[in-house]
Amino acid sequence: MTDELELKFDALAVGAFKSVGRPVARREDLRLITGKGRFTDDFNEPGQVVAVLVRSPYPHARINRIDSDTAKQMPGVLAIYTGEDCRADGLGIISHSPVPSTRSDLKLTAPGGGAIFEGPHALLPVDKARHVGEGIAMVVAESHRQALDAAEHVRVDYEPLPWVADSAVAIRDGAPTVWDEVPNNVCVDTRFGDTAATDAAFASAAHVIEMEFPIQRVTATPLEPRAALGQYDEASGRYTLNAGSNGAVTHKRQIAGALNVDPENIRVLCFDVGGNFGTKNRVYVEFGLVLWAARKIGRPVKFLATRSESFLSDYQGRDLLTRVELALDADGTFLAYRASNLSNVGARIVSLSPLGKGAPLVTGSYRIPAAEVRAWAAFTTTTPTQAYRSSGRPEVIHALERIIDTAAHRLGFDPIALRRKNLVSSEEMPYTNAFGITYDSGDYIKSMDIALRLADWDGFEARALAVRERGLRLGRGFANYVESSIGAPRERVDMTISPAGRVEVVVGTQPTGQGHETSFAQVTADLLGIDANAVDIVYGDTDIVAEGGGSHSGRSMRHASTAIYGAIEKLKVYAIELAADVWGIETQAIGYGDGRFVETGGARRFDWFELAALEAERAGGGDQRGLRISHSHEMHTPVFPNGCAACEVEVDTETGFVRITKYVAVDDVGRVINPLIVDGQTHGSIATGAGQALWEQCYTDPDSGQPLSGSFMDYGIPRADEMPSFITAFNEVPSPTNPLGVKSGGEGPTTAALAVIINAIVDALRDLGVDDIPMPATPFQVWQSIRDAQG
Amino acid sequence: MYPFEYVRPASVEEAIGLRRADAGAQWLAGGMTLLPSMKLRLAAPSQLIDLTDVEGLDEWSIGDEHIVLGSMSSHRRVAEADEVRTRIQALSTVAAGIGDPQVRNRGTLGGSIANNDPAADYPAALLGLGATIRTSQREISADEFFKDFFETVLEDDELVVAVSFPVPRRAAYLKFRTPGSRYALVGVMVAETRDGVRVAVTGAGPGVYRATQLETALAEDFRPEALVGLDMSPDGLNADMHGSPEYRAHLTGVLARRATAQAIACEN
Repeated sequence: MTDELELKFDALAVGAFKSVGRPVARREDLRLITGKGRFTDDFNEPGQVVAVLVRSPYPHARINRIDSDTAKQMPGVLAIYTGEDCRADGLGIISHSPVPSTRSDLKLTAPGGGAIFEGPHALLPVDKARHVGEGIAMVVAESHRQALDAAEHVRVDYEPLPWVADSAVAIRDGAPTVWDEVPNNVCVDTRFGDTAATDAAFASAAHVIEMEFPIQRVTATPLEPRAALGQYDEASGRYTLNAGSNGAVTHKRQIAGALNVDPENIRVLCFDVGGNFGTKNRVYVEFGLVLWAARKIGRPVKFLATRSESFLSDYQGRDLLTRVELALDADGTFLAYRASNLSNVGARIVSLSPLGKGAPLVTGSYRIPAAEVRAWAAFTTTTPTQAYRSSGRPEVIHALERIIDTAAHRLGFDPIALRRKNLVSSEEMPYTNAFGITYDSGDYIKSMDIALRLADWDGFEARALAVRERGLRLGRGFANYVESSIGAPRERVDMTISPAGRVEVVVGTQPTGQGHETSFAQVTADLLGIDANAVDIVYGDTDIVAEGGGSHSGRSMRHASTAIYGAIEKLKVYAIELAADVWGIETQAIGYGDGRFVETGGARRFDWFELAALEAERAGGGDQRGLRISHSHEMHTPVFPNGCAACEVEVDTETGFVRITKYVAVDDVGRVINPLIVDGQTHGSIATGAGQALWEQCYTDPDSGQPLSGSFMDYGIPRADEMPSFITAFNEVPSPTNPLGVKSGGEGPTTAALAVIINAIVDALRDLGVDDIPMPATPFQVWQSIRDAQG
Repeated sequence: MYPFEYVRPASVEEAIGLRRADAGAQWLAGGMTLLPSMKLRLAAPSQLIDLTDVEGLDEWSIGDEHIVLGSMSSHRRVAEADEVRTRIQALSTVAAGIGDPQVRNRGTLGGSIANNDPAADYPAALLGLGATIRTSQREISADEFFKDFFETVLEDDELVVAVSFPVPRRAAYLKFRTPGSRYALVGVMVAETRDGVRVAVTGAGPGVYRATQLETALAEDFRPEALVGLDMSPDGLNADMHGSPEYRAHLTGVLARRATAQAIACEN
């Protein structure tokens, strides 16, 4: 059954918690750092064979013919499959459900308001290759080397076609067409907001500032490349897939669709995952292919991507071209905002989450009464894009916080005072923005004050002088952010309290490094009034986990804690009835507190485990596992994590080299369940944003359309020695939307990082005439920007 | 990787004999470039002749005017040796700045110069310091040794045995790292040797080269101020996502100036 929980909560009082709020060490770490993790490639089955993909070397090419006759005769080769084979076998396509569809999401449409053409995702294409690295054929052989050898002998007759990598080029007349169904490549075009009110506000404004920001494409590079092990059981007709993801349940349904089989015949196993950041949220063709091949060959089939393959074919992140305009009154009051957000979805639409989530947040943390956003998207001959850590929000916050700094400078306002004047105040909460989105709670001004104090903002001039004496320049930056956390609305918990003194919680979220085994146990233990060490968290097997929305959009702690809360509330009612029955008294005569059921005015009491023993005893020959409860809930109300960042950078103007010397992050993640885990998330989240600001870029050769940042030699991943020691603080404002008051951690700091770092670099270089720097602000780019400004 | 034979000779003569017997064979020193290339199937030697056990390739001879380092000397050994640091600190700096600790434990002097990666550090060190390369056949000056992109004058069956570095009056090496790989986007060795001022540049072009314009200026006046206002030509320099020819030319001037200041500061 599904309960629509009451969505207005006075967050549970702090005194109710013993474990929640404490920096409990992660219980999963010992397993993970001593080689006992269970990652996909750790699973091997007797008789297992190996799959290798033949990938397109062209960004765009017609597939005229695939000749695998020679390859098929090579030693150890079991099969070679092409798109025609998939079609002949009646396989379907991967339905990615790319359009965000919770009640809080703005509804994206095709140009003219119709249904969006997604670009069908067959397991192997029959017509064209649409990006470098797209799988064209699959070789299955006894060994990896034999598969690689044979793959080199699969002859694909490609007819290279004109390519287009840049969305701004793809929308021009005469650009190469990626899908015949969408000749001009524009697959999404939707406007939100009040055009008339926005136009009127701009017309009356004293000042209008306009800027354009390309938010470059990056890739997630999780430590564990994507992998899949497929098995088929002839007797039962069931498929089993081991594959790392953010939630096995969603994948099960989509893989079933691609194979055209009943979802009940698919079992997906996902235990430890070595990093995700969004790229593993979506189904990959190899998942379907290894299952299909396992059935056809009658042996388990393993695929493991190399790092090179990952760089070419992992779903990538960002790639938004945003043009924004800010209208201000003479005194600096923000009047209106316009944004045109053009997303590069790549060769087909895998997800519109980045575009959809960013659009209603273009006005960020500020009181901007009128606003309009055009959310549109174009196909290109590049790897598809997908949600990447803080999907869609860093892009729009970057544009907003950059244009505010620019406005302050051009119009002579102090950038902090200008922000303070226009920030949504805590008195205005819950605040509904110009797109009808309601921010649940927060104290933005307090966060800003905390950050300014921690950064010693006012002591900047003295530090800057000292840095000048060393021949460098110091710059400082500030950025506020608000982001949204929505995610799949349904979650389920199955809880068993055993007579042996253990509590088992089965949940449909999927940790990919976030420490759920620790933090979910803390929540369960405190809500039951027991020790956290008695709680086991179970996930990752779709035969056990029947439902669940997975981990994305910062939903896991919020949904899991709410489902756990609901389950325990239900279980309490049942437990009181059980105790009343045993004791022969009315339920009203039983009180509950601190994990104990007590006879009012009497001496009799039970704890949870004693009740579990009674329940098992009463079951006789039936289910003796103890107290059991299943609880599903739906929660459609989004929450809005928020906060800010301040940073300082030293810039060597001769070489363009930038070093971050100070970084302060203040985040309102709602209630902090485990500050140790949240701090770790904050650190990683800052590094993710710093990587985009300074180094990371999926770079395409402008002459050939070839991706050139295909390894860590050219792709600048952030490293520990490039980061300062972070200064972090929480401004904990519990959300009223869920019982624990949880918002979300782990994505907010990324959201602010792009803007705050670029703001600081521009601040350092302002008197050289630099007023913007495209990302990544590599030394070369910084030097070039200085040079361009100097003329 | 493709399949290959693996042999481990004990002497230079044996190693050369094996190489002559198999045109597809390659020497294996530290393998820091060769092995990753093989794993990516970009190199397919029929045979690897592992030089680890070859006698004499790790011998050093340290004098006041020259230090001679065996070709199989690991970067770590060179970086940590007091006898190197006290004589040519710039050489210690070069070795200590290559790759990461794993690479420095495996990678070798001979492997690096024979490979002649256009962004490698050792070629700049040899060319800047005016070193001499001793091979199984002859002695070659650094000026002769390095050819184009990944190319040297070494014959197929010629093995680098040692490198002799003259101790300079003063020298310094500075590199500006590429963000991803941390290889030299540009690396500059500035040295005042007994035979004059030498400036060698790596990373900027298709191979290591001497910046004669800078050498001339420094020969007249060995101070950073002597290089101010010199416009380095971008002609022939590399263009890629990490830097334009103009940026590389500019960095060459900046690094040369800073290296000169450093050479003066830590004169030894």
